[in-house]
Amino acid sequence: MVNYDSGANHRETPQTGFLSRYVFSTRHKTIGLNYLWLALFSVFLGMAMSLLIRIQLVWPGAHLPLLSSLGNSPDRFAALTTLHGSLMVFLVLTAAPQAGFGNYFLPLQIGAREVAFPSLNLLAFWATVASFVGLTGAFLISSQSSITLWIVSVAIFCAASLLNALNFSVTTIDLRAEGMSLPRMPITVWAWFLNAILGMLIFSILLAACACLLSDRLWSTHFFPSLNFIANQPASVVANAVPVLWQRLFWFFAQAEVYVAMLPCFGLTTHLISTFSRKPVWKERLVVLALCGVGLFGFCVWGQHMFSSGMNPFSPLAFSLLASSLGLPAAILLASWLGTLWKARVQLNTAMLFALGFISLFLSGGLSGIFLVRHDLAAAAVSDDFVTGHFHLVMGVAATFAILGALFFWFPKLFGRRLNEPLGKLHFWITFAGVYCVFMPMHWLGLIAHSRVSPGSPLASVAAAGSAIRTFITVAILLTVFAQGLFLINFLWSLIRGEKAGECNPWRATTLEWSVPSPPPTDDFGLSDPVVYRGAYEFSLTDVAEDFVPQYLAPEQSAKARESGE
Amino acid sequence: MPGTTAVPDIELVVEDLGGGGGGGPTPPPAGGGDGDDGNKRRRTGGPPSPNRYYTGIALGIVSILMFFMALASAFLVRRGTSGDWIPVHLPPVLWLNTLALIASSFTLERARRSLSRLDLSGFRKLWIVTTGLGALFLIGQLVAWRQLVAQGVFMASNPASSFFYIFTAAHGLHLLGGVAALLYVLVRKFDNTRVALPTAAEIASYYWHFMDGLWVFLLALLYLGK
Repeated sequence: MVNYDSGANHRETPQTGFLSRYVFSTRHKTIGLNYLWLALFSVFLGMAMSLLIRIQLVWPGAHLPLLSSLGNSPDRFAALTTLHGSLMVFLVLTAAPQAGFGNYFLPLQIGAREVAFPSLNLLAFWATVASFVGLTGAFLISSQSSITLWIVSVAIFCAASLLNALNFSVTTIDLRAEGMSLPRMPITVWAWFLNAILGMLIFSILLAACACLLSDRLWSTHFFPSLNFIANQPASVVANAVPVLWQRLFWFFAQAEVYVAMLPCFGLTTHLISTFSRKPVWKERLVVLALCGVGLFGFCVWGQHMFSSGMNPFSPLAFSLLASSLGLPAAILLASWLGTLWKARVQLNTAMLFALGFISLFLSGGLSGIFLVRHDLAAAAVSDDFVTGHFHLVMGVAATFAILGALFFWFPKLFGRRLNEPLGKLHFWITFAGVYCVFMPMHWLGLIAHSRVSPGSPLASVAAAGSAIRTFITVAILLTVFAQGLFLINFLWSLIRGEKAGECNPWRATTLEWSVPSPPPTDDFGLSDPVVYRGAYEFSLTDVAEDFVPQYLAPEQSAKARESGE
Repeated sequence: MPGTTAVPDIELVVEDLGGGGGGGPTPPPAGGGDGDDGNKRRRTGGPPSPNRYYTGIALGIVSILMFFMALASAFLVRRGTSGDWIPVHLPPVLWLNTLALIASSFTLERARRSLSRLDLSGFRKLWIVTTGLGALFLIGQLVAWRQLVAQGVFMASNPASSFFYIFTAAHGLHLLGGVAALLYVLVRKFDNTRVALPTAAEIASYYWHFMDGLWVFLLALLYLGK
């Protein structure tokens, strides 16, 4: 039972002091912003890690600041990749689009003043911070206990995500403003909502797996067969027993985790494309169904990774079919984006560029995914580099593009100022070219790696080019990472000196968050509760003065506006 | 710009909403307390709808169920793939515990029936009995652990015992939360809060019955799956 006295009295008693205003505030906007700050810090930390990884790969003897001082060993390298992965996946890709933007804009977009359980929300945020500290700390203490600390941190993150997911789904179900029926919900809200449902199912599973693993480490239980036990068993038992259970539980989570990161990004992209094409979302209902399909299939394809890694679960064919069937909702989404763009007067600002970049990356990453889905091809083609390239392109970079697009879009609402457009566009183009230069050659490396199996083949000479490709990748990643400095400068400068957004609705968008001042007041909607009169994407209507009709505009008002416009 | 002027305008036009043009079949927010003066949809300080607690507990139950299903599937897979599985002989006290827990579900429902008849003292009495039975169950589980330890069956003995301990421990922790919820409903004054006492009791009862059913399922799994 939640103690619920906080929300109601906030209006009357303005909070003072840094702690109560920023640190222990239960306001959804403060918590959402805090998540975004945390993600921003993590993404730069994670990017520094990836730089170290690439330098280590190309110049293994190089003296690196963090790596050398802590012992330049394979163990440290593994720890480095783990930290890079866990920071990026958990604190950036999972937390930023869902908990960050979601906390800030989900209540605003559905006309709720608060999430359903604000205290739980605050708890979830600080648990996330604790898990961030734990994950980073696990890297710094280089001993056996660091792995235990890492598992504890992941478990805490799971618990936080569960609380967050519970909050989001209940908020969407029960706290929508008057008139905000399900078909009128913006696609972003649909994506956050479906993602919360998906998250609630899969983070429980990872939590259970973590609990078992932790108990194995701390109390030497036998959930996952220990290495001592394995060593004493006949070979046939060993081959079967070691990873089956952990892999099953872990991939059950991890495959769906990809969609947990991607679902809100689908929503954000759809929203941006529609707004800046000045056209309604093409086949909006179908898009919502496709998002449901992504959630459902994403939950079901946990077995897919097991045959890609050479295992044989009970039915590779079934999983292969399921994984391929994910192509269907993906194709629907793609068709809708292209349909929305078709013959549209596209406004090519930075937010839109990032949304288009997302589509491009998602498409090219998805094409290489087809190789991994076919289980006969997967066994032949999969090597680490191919998977790394595919995974980064489709999940890591694409999702980051959606996050950046959303940031450029909502920055005026968040801070009342705009990000600098020319600098943003420059940052976009360098990053866009950069990530292709990094991850496309990585696919080739993966394919070349397998040609080495037969030295007589003509491909063997190509294989020699491998090290040159590796160097190219490392140089490209250096440039890409430094280009992010442009973004950081733009972000910090605009925060203080950026052009004022001025009006409530600078993008002439339709959803409810644009009806309130920027940044929104503490109680979001002021004295009167918002009322919603129409769908979320009413652009380019023929009989209205403007080319859009916001959701909060009553039919009488739009008629009045039309008369005054004529 | 319509965007800049919409907020004050809404109040002027809301009275026409009943005409049904754009409103659609959306129920007004329950408990808003502004049904009488249809003129302005100003926000009021009244209690919000308790729906969120019903939805919250339902989704929470699904999530907890998923947690235990992951453990259960791990149990079945682990049992099938290894040669070091030595079944746990369930201590007989578990059956007594189960009886106590099932009985607590009945007393809980009786308590809620007294509450609906506005018989507050009867409600409190039965509610205390329910909480006591829950505590009894937890103590019984500890006794079962002690008996297993006396037999030399520890957490680290073999996979079957590991699973027995994690199932009972995870369920016990969740049930402890249930006992806390029961105590909260008993102690809290519901005069000036967002949920009324019957609502709080109902939500606590959902969780309690779920814990009850979950235990029966886990016991069946442990008994049949040994």
